[in-house]
Amino acid sequence: MSEKKYWKGPEELHGDPSFIEKKKQEFPEELPVFYQKEDLKLSASRRDFLKILGFSFAGSALAACTRMPVEKAIPYLVKPEEVTPGVANWYASACGGCAASCGILAKTRDGRPIKVEGNPEASLFGGGLCAVGQAHILSLYDDERLKGPLWQGQSVSWEKIDQEIKAKLAGAGRVILLTQTLTSSATRALIDEWKKQNPSLKGQWQLDAVTYEPMSLSALREACEKHFGVRVVPHYRLEESDVVLGLNCDFLGTWLSPVEFASAYSKRRRVRENNKENFLKHIQIETSLSLTGSNADQRIPIKPSEEAAVALAVLNELMKLAGQSSLSALPHSINAADIQSIAQQLWKHRGRSLVISGSQQIETQSFVLAINSLLGNIGTTVDLDNPSQQNQGDDRAVEEALKDMESGRVAAVIFYGTNPVYSHPEPERWIAVLKKVWSISLSDRLDETASLATAVCPDHHALESWNDAEPVAHHVVFQQPVIRPLRESRQAQESFLKWMGYEGNYYQYLKEYARSRYFSQQSGFLSFDAFWDHSIQQGVFETSESARKNYSFQGSLSEVVEQAKSQKALWALGMEVSFYEKIGVRDGRGANNPWLQELPDPVSKVSWDNYACVSPAQAKKMGLGEGDVVRLKDIEIPVHIQPGQAAGAISVAVGYGRTHVGRAGNGVGVNVSRLRSVHGGVVMSAGSVSLEKAGRTVELACTQLHHSMEGRDIVREVSLVDLAKASHEDHGKKEKLITLWDEKDKEGHAWSMAVDLTNCIGCSACVIGCQAENNVPVVGKDEVRRQREMHWIRIDRYFNGPEDNPQTVYQPMMCQHCGNAPCETVCPVLATVHSSDGLNQQVYNRCVGTRYCANNCPYKVRRFNWFDYAHNDSFNYNMNSDLGNMVLNPDIVVRMRGVMEKCSLCVQRIQEGKLAAKREGGPLKDGDIKLACEQSCPSQAIVFGDLKDPKSRISKLNQDKRHYHVLEELNVQPIVGYFSKVSERSSGGHS
Amino acid sequence: MVKKIVVILVVLSIIWFVGSQLISQARQVGVNQGYEPDQPIAFSHKVHAGDNQVACLYCHVGADKGRHAGIPSANICMNCHGQIKTDSPEIKKIKIALEQKKPIEWLKVHRLPDFAYFNHSQHVTAGVNCQECHGEVQSMTRMRQEKPLTMGWCIDCHRAKGIVSPSGHPDIKTKNPKEIMKAVGGLDCAKCHY
Repeated sequence: MSEKKYWKGPEELHGDPSFIEKKKQEFPEELPVFYQKEDLKLSASRRDFLKILGFSFAGSALAACTRMPVEKAIPYLVKPEEVTPGVANWYASACGGCAASCGILAKTRDGRPIKVEGNPEASLFGGGLCAVGQAHILSLYDDERLKGPLWQGQSVSWEKIDQEIKAKLAGAGRVILLTQTLTSSATRALIDEWKKQNPSLKGQWQLDAVTYEPMSLSALREACEKHFGVRVVPHYRLEESDVVLGLNCDFLGTWLSPVEFASAYSKRRRVRENNKENFLKHIQIETSLSLTGSNADQRIPIKPSEEAAVALAVLNELMKLAGQSSLSALPHSINAADIQSIAQQLWKHRGRSLVISGSQQIETQSFVLAINSLLGNIGTTVDLDNPSQQNQGDDRAVEEALKDMESGRVAAVIFYGTNPVYSHPEPERWIAVLKKVWSISLSDRLDETASLATAVCPDHHALESWNDAEPVAHHVVFQQPVIRPLRESRQAQESFLKWMGYEGNYYQYLKEYARSRYFSQQSGFLSFDAFWDHSIQQGVFETSESARKNYSFQGSLSEVVEQAKSQKALWALGMEVSFYEKIGVRDGRGANNPWLQELPDPVSKVSWDNYACVSPAQAKKMGLGEGDVVRLKDIEIPVHIQPGQAAGAISVAVGYGRTHVGRAGNGVGVNVSRLRSVHGGVVMSAGSVSLEKAGRTVELACTQLHHSMEGRDIVREVSLVDLAKASHEDHGKKEKLITLWDEKDKEGHAWSMAVDLTNCIGCSACVIGCQAENNVPVVGKDEVRRQREMHWIRIDRYFNGPEDNPQTVYQPMMCQHCGNAPCETVCPVLATVHSSDGLNQQVYNRCVGTRYCANNCPYKVRRFNWFDYAHNDSFNYNMNSDLGNMVLNPDIVVRMRGVMEKCSLCVQRIQEGKLAAKREGGPLKDGDIKLACEQSCPSQAIVFGDLKDPKSRISKLNQDKRHYHVLEELNVQPIVGYFSKVSERSSGGHS
Repeated sequence: MVKKIVVILVVLSIIWFVGSQLISQARQVGVNQGYEPDQPIAFSHKVHAGDNQVACLYCHVGADKGRHAGIPSANICMNCHGQIKTDSPEIKKIKIALEQKKPIEWLKVHRLPDFAYFNHSQHVTAGVNCQECHGEVQSMTRMRQEKPLTMGWCIDCHRAKGIVSPSGHPDIKTKNPKEIMKAVGGLDCAKCHY
């Protein structure tokens, strides 16, 4: 354990001279001090001195005479009953960040939403919320959203545009409705109703709804149809599995329903609740080092071309174990012993194991389904009867629709939440089609597709909309608006209803739908109104799930093997490439969200860019360095050397290189969609591409090498086996170290926080949660390059073991609130002082910006405000616009230039919790106060509480053997502690 | 020699006088004690809170609930003025505001800087009278800032009075407000500055 060597990047592992140089420096670069020699000659005379003295004297005297500017207080004319100025209201709704449709609670202050959090009532998602979901609120206040409808580029009224559209659609012929994934059952019913409209106009009116997703799961759906007769994406039951094998599937980070999977995953790996016996074992086989793979107990890198062969090898091994005759094998690079051990573990947990693949190779999916079927997982951990609706993308149908449009068999196309001109592999086909086919876009902005459309009817933001969502069958989440529409936009469903000629609005339609569909499924409420009010207030409606059945596997596997053998063409172009989504920007829909753009990817630690991940061995072979630009086909992209990346394959992220999304997202990174190939009607998530050096180098905005920890045992690990041994070493140094300082007596509360590294998966939800809660500014790519990012909490990522396949540990690092805080002793103006309940307080109005504190901080968690981000035009993100300002938390100050800031342990939440207890006259209960990071964590790795309360969770946790403090030897006595990471990893790197 | 001493003394006293004036002036920067602006409607606290004994919380509904006491919305005025003194030109202004849906733009009298967090409800529930911070409001025809509202003034009051309720702190058994204040760290910076 202790002999493991941790490193943050290849530069550190190899002792790169530039890294060593950087490590020595306290601040990453010298301060720019510009002066010329002659300036130093004092030329001021005694008279000048007196003049300046007199001027400053008079100036300060004048300043002293000024009064504050007049400020107005404008109350409501008629105050809504539920609004009390300064008191937050919480509303349950559904997240619109992606199609996972998590239940959320939106915090509104004086009528404007300022933060979203997971809804604990939604049992599927466990109360956390991912980074994208939390950042979604900022998109509401995006001032690049359209102000109203556009007809041929001109602003018009809704009446006018409805007239035009209705006239055009009436008897138009065939209309394609290209939608995003629709988790809303009511919307699907509405579209069905629309399809059936005008039966008299037979032949003249035909509506076809096609679902388009840039990162679809077409292959999985098709394989399910082929082998089980149901065209669905199964609901995977991670919490019921003992072993999970992920095959190129980032289920904890970006795939299908990450919050749900992270919540289930952590429940099964929570050692602090004595979950040692049925600890979920996780094996990952993948190309790029994904967030999921970095958490695995065992990880094996493979090239995407080996995917099907590896799945087949596991299947063959299992068939042997089952006593069946195996299929002919395909070549792959994993050694037989590993395949054997994986198969044995899966076999041992038959019916309680799970194999998931995100592959778009249909053969891989066939083999994976065959594995699950052979293991008896169908009907247990793979649920086909309560399917997931979270990705309904159907590539084949999209391709057919596109062909029909090209051949002139389509009169009109409506884009709802889709932007194929940006995200499709063949945008020029769409551009050509849009020149001849009449089109409507419902995009909220003039995006790549909408700017070519005839009409643009901007949709509401999710937080302005009424809707329902059924992410997984029988789990309904309701969406209610939490703010009046900020723009003259109109909800897409409302537009459909208008064009259908339906009297009434979508709210009424939704209510009627709920009456006929959901109300009848329950017996708790006699009146519909009571049921409706209750459901909207709770935000969820869950009914008992359908019984899970076992489906027998149909179809011939040997045919699939033959098919797999013939897939050589896909990999013929030289370098193999896989496409993935980054944690923040995902498929590029939210690319204009500066919070997400600045969020460092947890694995690569790069923000504001996409890049080609190249394995260290490959880079050495090709003579590539970090930031060297390579040409993939005709696209130039910088290289990031990524330990753990499969040799012989590169990985690039989609979602970047937007051109029509807004000022924060335009021109960030490059669009790699055009590199994706369409193979058998399916848009592939991997393929091959020609690669050559472009001969220039750029600097990525990478936060990886900052804040080096100098090789101390910052993160600690223990294997599950060692943990069970009685002799297991105590990780906390409990002996008392000598200190110069007086023991501080805490009379009131004694706050403390613990982060369980076993459960932290590095998803960075806390980073965005903190940013939203604490008005953390966005600084932009250039400032991140200078290591001036402002995040109060960062995710430190450490590697250990061999470079080609290292083990990864994540460690959230925020102010540790040291009892003997080194920052406090060096502050000349007492701007950082200790509170009686153990917090290290930062007083901005006292700070003069000496930065001594940051210098003296052993954890490097202090952030200096180099600029007035809220008023400086160079930082034109959200804080500088009137609309963007609305997301700011009014309980927290917006820090000015020249002051230091850092994690306050959400002191405003502590104060709020204490105040609520005071008003109600009761004691403060454990769990009443939840910090922003703790609340947002989908895997519940963070616990905060009062050490003075012996029954609190934190009091018990701090006694645990795994509990330790970072840099304990300094005896700064932090109140934030960590739990060593427990895993089933073998020491010294992945096999 | 005497002349020299006189000159030095005179210069020193001038420096001392101007300097002390400057310091005391500078300390008043941002302090608006005595501020009494003309309001768009000539509302009199004397008539309402003084002569007619309307309770403060009737209009300032937020004072026991949240951070802001709040300026009453026009519909609260009309609860009574729908019937009373409907012909007064000042009342008519409220009526017109409601009809035209134009909110009344009051001038803010009591103002704290953004970096100080103050919550009305915890003071009201602790039994602090409104007058202790806002002066004899019931005798003011026009609202005036009576107290300086500086940090020193807050702290002075808390030093003298302590904190009455230790609720939420399981360990504090004392009932003495000054001891409670010491125990809960009532003077910690981050009680108000965050």
